[in-house]
Amino acid sequence: MASELTVLFRRLRTWAMLLALAAIPILIATAVRLSSHPVPPGRGPAFLDRVSQNGLFVGMTALLVSVPLFLPITVGVVAGDTIAGEANLGTLRYLLVAPAGRVRLLLIKYSAAAVFCLAATVTVAAVGVLAGVALFPVGPVTLLSGDTIGVGESLLRSLLIAAYISVSLLGLAAIGLAISTFTDIPVGAMAATVVLSVMSQVADNLPQLEWLHPWLFSQYWLGFADLLRQPISWTTFGDNALLQAGYILAAGAIAYGRFTSKDVLS
Amino acid sequence: MARKWLRWLPAAVVPAVVAAAALTGSYQAGAAVNLPEKSSAEIIAMIGHSEVRALSGTLRQTSELGIPQLPAAGPIPSVRQGAGQGLAAVIELTGTAHTARIYLDGPSKARLQIMDTLAERDVVRNGRDLWLYNSADNSAAHATLPDATATRRPPGHGPADRSPADRGPANNGPKTPATPGIATPEAIAQRFLAAADPSTEVTVGDATIVAGRTAYQLVLRPRSTVTLVDSVTLAVDAASGLPLGIQLRSRGQAAPAFSLAFSDISLSAPESSVFTFTPPHGASVKEMTVPSAAPMPGTKHAVPGTHPAADRPTVTGKGWDAVVGFPAGVLPADVRSDPAFAQLAQAVPGGRAITTSLVTVLMLDDGRVFAGMVPLERLQAAASPQ
Repeated sequence: MASELTVLFRRLRTWAMLLALAAIPILIATAVRLSSHPVPPGRGPAFLDRVSQNGLFVGMTALLVSVPLFLPITVGVVAGDTIAGEANLGTLRYLLVAPAGRVRLLLIKYSAAAVFCLAATVTVAAVGVLAGVALFPVGPVTLLSGDTIGVGESLLRSLLIAAYISVSLLGLAAIGLAISTFTDIPVGAMAATVVLSVMSQVADNLPQLEWLHPWLFSQYWLGFADLLRQPISWTTFGDNALLQAGYILAAGAIAYGRFTSKDVLS
Repeated sequence: MARKWLRWLPAAVVPAVVAAAALTGSYQAGAAVNLPEKSSAEIIAMIGHSEVRALSGTLRQTSELGIPQLPAAGPIPSVRQGAGQGLAAVIELTGTAHTARIYLDGPSKARLQIMDTLAERDVVRNGRDLWLYNSADNSAAHATLPDATATRRPPGHGPADRSPADRGPANNGPKTPATPGIATPEAIAQRFLAAADPSTEVTVGDATIVAGRTAYQLVLRPRSTVTLVDSVTLAVDAASGLPLGIQLRSRGQAAPAFSLAFSDISLSAPESSVFTFTPPHGASVKEMTVPSAAPMPGTKHAVPGTHPAADRPTVTGKGWDAVVGFPAGVLPADVRSDPAFAQLAQAVPGGRAITTSLVTVLMLDDGRVFAGMVPLERLQAAASPQ
C-alpha cells in the first residue's frame, strides 16, 4: 500500500493534476480581485459574490466550480489508470507473480485512488483558503441560512465539505477501477469514466428522467450545500455515503469478476 | 472453466442485492400498520386536542400538477433566479419539489427554511420580529408584527436590543389558544362533519407511517363528479394528533398532484438560537410594513385579501365545484407580461388559460379572471352569462 502511494504521488502526472486543481481557486481569487466591478449577487456561480467580502469563500466557490468536471476528470484519470496502466506498461504480470493475489491488488489500487480523491479535494479547499486569506479580508462567514459563524468553525465546515466531496467521488473511482480491468489501454478507461460522470450529471438535470435520479452516482454531488446551513443538515451526507457505498460494492464486484477471471498476458 | 464463471457470480449478485436493499428500504414506508380503530369524528377531535406547541422537522413537498417543467440547468436553476416575485414565485413554490425545515416553539417563535440547491430562503419569526432572508441574492426583509398587548416600539433597529427571553410566550399570552372556549374539539368535529357531508364524503383510510410515526389517514372525497379533485388525504399522528402530511389527488392521475409531508420530525423544543436572526453583514435589508397578517410563503392563492367592495370576487357553484370570478383590474397587469405566464398559459377563445391537474385559471381578454378546481369548460360557462 505504501509503495503504491509512493508510485502514485511520485508521478509527474499526479502532481500536474493537483497543480491544475490548485490553479482553480487561485484563478478565481485573482480574477475577482483584479476586476473593478463587484460581482452582483445571484450572477455567476453561487458564493462568487461573497468572495470579495470574505476570502474564505474562495475555497467553497472553487470546490463548487470543480465538482462537475475538473474533479471527475482527475479522478477518472487516476482510477482508469489503475489496472489498465499496469497492463499497458507490461508490469501487471510481474505484480501478479508476487504471491499477493489479485483481490489484494484490486483493493490496494482502489485505496490509492480513494486517497487521491481526498488529496484532490483537500488541495482545492486548502489552496482556496490560502488564496482567499492572501487577497481578501477574512471575517465571519455567512451561511446559506443567513446565520453567521466564526472563522474557526468555517474552516471546519470547509474541511467537512472537502470530506463530503471526497466521499462523493468514491463511487466514480470504483467505476473507473471496474472499467480499467476490462482494457489494456488506460486512455480508454479514463475517457469512459469521465464520459460516464458527465452522462450521469446530464441525466440528473433532466426532469423527464426523474425516476432514474436516485440511482445516479452524481445525484448528491452538489448536496454539500447542506453543510452550509444552520443547523447542519446531515441527511444528505448520510444518503450520499449510502449511495456511494452501493456503487463501490457493485462496481467492486464487477471488477472482481473481470479481474480474477481474466488471462493476464501483459 | 466452471471456476472462471463462478468468479463472475459476485458481479451479478452484488448489484442485484444492492438494488434490492435500496428498493426494500423505500418500500418499507408503505408497510401496513395496525392502530386501534377510530371514527373520522374522533380523528378530527384528536387534531383539536393536539397540544404540540414545539417541534422541529423536515417537510418534503412534491407536485405533479401537469404544468411544463423547466430543466434545472446548472447549479442555479433559472426559475429560482426569479424566485420571490410575481407569478413565477407562486408556480415555483407550488409546482416543483421542495425540502424545507421547520422549527416551532410556542405561538411566537417559528422558522421555516426552504432548502434550494446551493441556496436557501428563510422565514424567521421571533416574537414581533419577522425576518425574510434569501441567500441567492443575499437580501433580507424585516417587519414588526402588530401586537395589541405590547407597548409599541419604534419600528426597525430591532436586532440590537432583541433577546429571545423578553418575547417569550408570556408576552403573547392572550393570543395563545390555551382554552378552546365554549366549543370542545369533539363538538367542532361533529359540526364540521355535518357541514361537509352534503359535498364531501369523509372516511378513515388505512393507517400509515409518516416520518417514522404511525398515523391515521382521513380521506375527504368530493361527492361532485365535476371537480378535478379526486381526494384529499390528511395524515394525523396517532400519538399527538398533529397533522403530519396532506395529499391532494386529482382525477385520472396515479401520482398525487400535490403532497406535503414531514419526512422527519421531533416534538422537542428546538434550541432557542435557531430563532435569533441578525441580517448578515453585506446583506441588503428592507423594512416592510405589515398591515395585518404575516405574509406566508407557500400559501397557495397569493391573492391580496384586501379588495375594495366593488372588486369583490363572485362565486358561482357550490362546494368543490365553486368558480371564483374576479372583475377586471384585480389581476396585476405585470402578471400578463411575466415570461412564466407566457410559457404556462395556452390560448383559448376570448383569453388565455392555465390548466393544471388540480386548478384551472381562465384569464379573459377583458381583464376578468376565473379560477376553480374544475375543468376549463366550467370556467368558460361561468364567464359567459355576463
